[in-house]
Amino acid sequence: MGNNLLEKPMDKPPEYFVLDWKEGTKLIPEQTDFYIEVDSMGKQNVLALVNERKAPVLYSADIATPVCADGECKLMNIKFYWTLLGEYAGYDRYPMMPLTKHDHDEFDTADYQKLHNLLADDKNLMGRRRIDQLVEKPKMRTVNGVDAVSGATIARVKESVVSGALYSCYTAWHLVYGDIQEQLKTHTLSILDKQMTLDMLYSINPEYQIFAMEHMDAADYKEHYVQLAKVFRTSTPLVRSIIAKRFTSKFKDAPTMQRLFWEAFDEVDTSSRSLMMKYLDEAPDYVADILSTKLSSMSKNQLRSFLGYLSTGERMNSETRNNLLEFANSENETYSYLIIEFLENTK
Amino acid sequence: MKLSKIFVAAVVFVLTSSLHGQDILIEAESFDNPGGWTVDPQFEQQMGSPYLLAHGIGEPVKNATTKVRFESNGEYYVWVRTKNWVPGKWEAPGRFQLKIDGELVDKTLGLRSGWGWEYVDKISVFENQIDLELVDLTGFDGRCDAIYFSTKNEEPPSSSKKLADWRKKVKSEPNAPPVTKSYDLVVVGGGLAGCAASIAAAEQGLKVALIHDRPVLGGNASEEIRVHTLGIYGNFERILKKIDTEHYPNGSAEAKLDQKKRDDNVKGYENIDLFLNHRAYDAKAENSSIQYVDARQTFSGERIRFTAPRFVDSTGDGWIGYWAGAEFSYGRESSETYGETWEEHGELWTPTEPDDAVMGSSVLWGSKETDAEHTFPEVPWAMPVAREYARVAGEWQWEFSSPDHNQIDDAEDIRDHMLRAIYGSFANAKKDTTNANRKLEWVSSLVGKRESRRLVGDHIFTFNNAKEGRKFPDGVVIEIRDVDIHYQTVLEDEKNPDFISEALFYKTPEYYIPYRSLYSKNISNLFMAGRNFSCSHAGLGGPRVMRTTGQMGAAVGFAAALCKKYDVNPREIYTGYLDEYLDLIQKQKFEKIPESKK
Repeated sequence: MGNNLLEKPMDKPPEYFVLDWKEGTKLIPEQTDFYIEVDSMGKQNVLALVNERKAPVLYSADIATPVCADGECKLMNIKFYWTLLGEYAGYDRYPMMPLTKHDHDEFDTADYQKLHNLLADDKNLMGRRRIDQLVEKPKMRTVNGVDAVSGATIARVKESVVSGALYSCYTAWHLVYGDIQEQLKTHTLSILDKQMTLDMLYSINPEYQIFAMEHMDAADYKEHYVQLAKVFRTSTPLVRSIIAKRFTSKFKDAPTMQRLFWEAFDEVDTSSRSLMMKYLDEAPDYVADILSTKLSSMSKNQLRSFLGYLSTGERMNSETRNNLLEFANSENETYSYLIIEFLENTK
Repeated sequence: MKLSKIFVAAVVFVLTSSLHGQDILIEAESFDNPGGWTVDPQFEQQMGSPYLLAHGIGEPVKNATTKVRFESNGEYYVWVRTKNWVPGKWEAPGRFQLKIDGELVDKTLGLRSGWGWEYVDKISVFENQIDLELVDLTGFDGRCDAIYFSTKNEEPPSSSKKLADWRKKVKSEPNAPPVTKSYDLVVVGGGLAGCAASIAAAEQGLKVALIHDRPVLGGNASEEIRVHTLGIYGNFERILKKIDTEHYPNGSAEAKLDQKKRDDNVKGYENIDLFLNHRAYDAKAENSSIQYVDARQTFSGERIRFTAPRFVDSTGDGWIGYWAGAEFSYGRESSETYGETWEEHGELWTPTEPDDAVMGSSVLWGSKETDAEHTFPEVPWAMPVAREYARVAGEWQWEFSSPDHNQIDDAEDIRDHMLRAIYGSFANAKKDTTNANRKLEWVSSLVGKRESRRLVGDHIFTFNNAKEGRKFPDGVVIEIRDVDIHYQTVLEDEKNPDFISEALFYKTPEYYIPYRSLYSKNISNLFMAGRNFSCSHAGLGGPRVMRTTGQMGAAVGFAAALCKKYDVNPREIYTGYLDEYLDLIQKQKFEKIPESKK
């Protein structure tokens, strides 16, 4: 633990990890000026884990911290990892120093996984509550002779913490989400270069993808449009929502680059599809053909938007019309009646 | 829900005057006795009418019954306006049948996708009258808008525009309502804001009309929706304590106690004319000044025109402003528009590019343990929404918003999406043997909205106003509650149910809402109070809770009193009578209500 790790490259991912780890990756630990102050244990150094370009990829810290409950304290040993943006990236446990619960039972595999899930939840209620507010007993009230339980928020916390280890979970969560987060992000921004930004775009981490898109210029968007389309297909609805609002304007003068996005229409979630429909007027003409083959994946409102789009200008060729007819004649399509009405009105 | 039989029967008779002389349109909401069906007027502006809903939470409801009188005997073709609310590869959930003179008509109804007419049968009428019944088959929210009897085999129109014109012709309904009533102040929407506005104005001696489309007052705080009131009382503790709620869990049956308190208190004011079960459907402005608001009784269809020198839009959806041509906004401004960035939550807080995302609507529900085993039907039509989610009750996190749904235009789909989420999640929970004795107790059929249209005032209240605790010379509403903005958790992980939200909290100092956010920028005699007040999306995050919206209402009510005193419009209270207005607000804290104005 600690300094001796400085000499040892990291060649495998943390045991619990939210990012992807490319085969053959070797990260070298380097000292930083950052540290975490732990009660009665003093400063615990934060390391940067750098790649062959000497650019940081992760930050980490070996933590030994007391966990106290009911006047009894014991040490928790754990190694935390943060992303370049100061978000939780994962943790390693120490097999010889297992985490324990209030009753001294050791964590089992499911408990470690639950801790990981908790630490990955940056909006957990424990971020806004003191520990004593989390152990408050639910208040019972009687309503018309029926007991009603208040204090549901406590139940919500119970669902996310390791049973019997609230204090350890609380301590760990607040170490991960302490002041160190902002310091690490600020540090990353001070050394950010184009390659680091692009590495984030090619990562599977949604925060990285969003960050990269905010720091890419117009030329970057075009050069990396294939990856952007991949992110659009594979990332979260939140990331997709940003791309959906942006790709028609970013590729306005390069309509062929939009094709990959429109072709992904039926691969993305319905909310992303609805956002795409709001930008139909900025889309190239070929979009009518593409979407007319994906009518089955459209919601009622999406279908209405598409038909509205087709009814303006001369956007409907024979192929599009045939696709509409086929859909209208299908017995299995819930919204075929909308197409029938549309075709009748546009005869 | 009480319904005057004599009154409604008379209305049905009036409706029998028709397009062809012998054709009859029966509005389902006007049935003599709705039985276990409930009148649902929430989506009138979208689908054309209040309708009857068989909201039996899984158990078929009692038949709705009415008598239909014909001018002549003969053969009639019968259509029913309905819809299958979950079309798909399963049996429609909301199926029902007609019973005519005690005989069940074979045809199953509630099968078509989208609102429209389903042909039932041709019937023979012998004694100029039939007994008509709606027979619910499922208890899962079948819906019937109207029944049409015609001597011609000609289906009525389905498209909304044509249908509205056709309805007018069939009912021989003139444009203007037959009755006009005049007041000092017309308040539309009886949520906390509308109630507080009415009380404040009435206490100052104004003759007030309070128009509300439900049988009980309180909106989201009512026993029909059951959200508890949050926020502080500010300057208006005395008034707000008459209408607010205890801090029981959302969805609690305790809401019934506060319901009685609220209704009794508002009804106690002699100079508030309360028009429950009346839904406004139009407002007309001339020279940027509202002349009247038209409203319709949700059961009988009887219409009233309300005139007044000033109006309060506390409809939540900003309908009065919308009809009158008031400026309004909807959705999220870009983070740059008002500089409302909060880096920690980035796009979830305010987006780089503006969009139509808003906080969603909730439908609350609960179940109870019983002494005996209870089964719950299979609900395959709910499973695409609920998926594996299993719960026995819902709280505020049960919320739906998506880019595919506008909170106003698509409110029925939003409600229905939540019903699928609820029934499906409960069916999943029932598979757990520990829930064998659990029974669904209550599921609201009302959409509890958080955000929709926001009318634009002289000041747009923003997140930064709250964050900085900015002091305004006309800061009449005070709040200390965190700004909290909800987002759908599915945005961060597609595996999450799309009907569950999470809240982002920003801790603020005490903050103030200026009076200038409580009247319209371009409609000179329009106040607004409630979630449709003048604010940005992020600005709404804090003051959208109901004691705060109640404060807005009270502030507006007192302003309306000064408007009457000096015969001026809302803006002039700020420009010319601000000191007197602020004094009035201070003084009322210590006033008892004069007997004459109770």
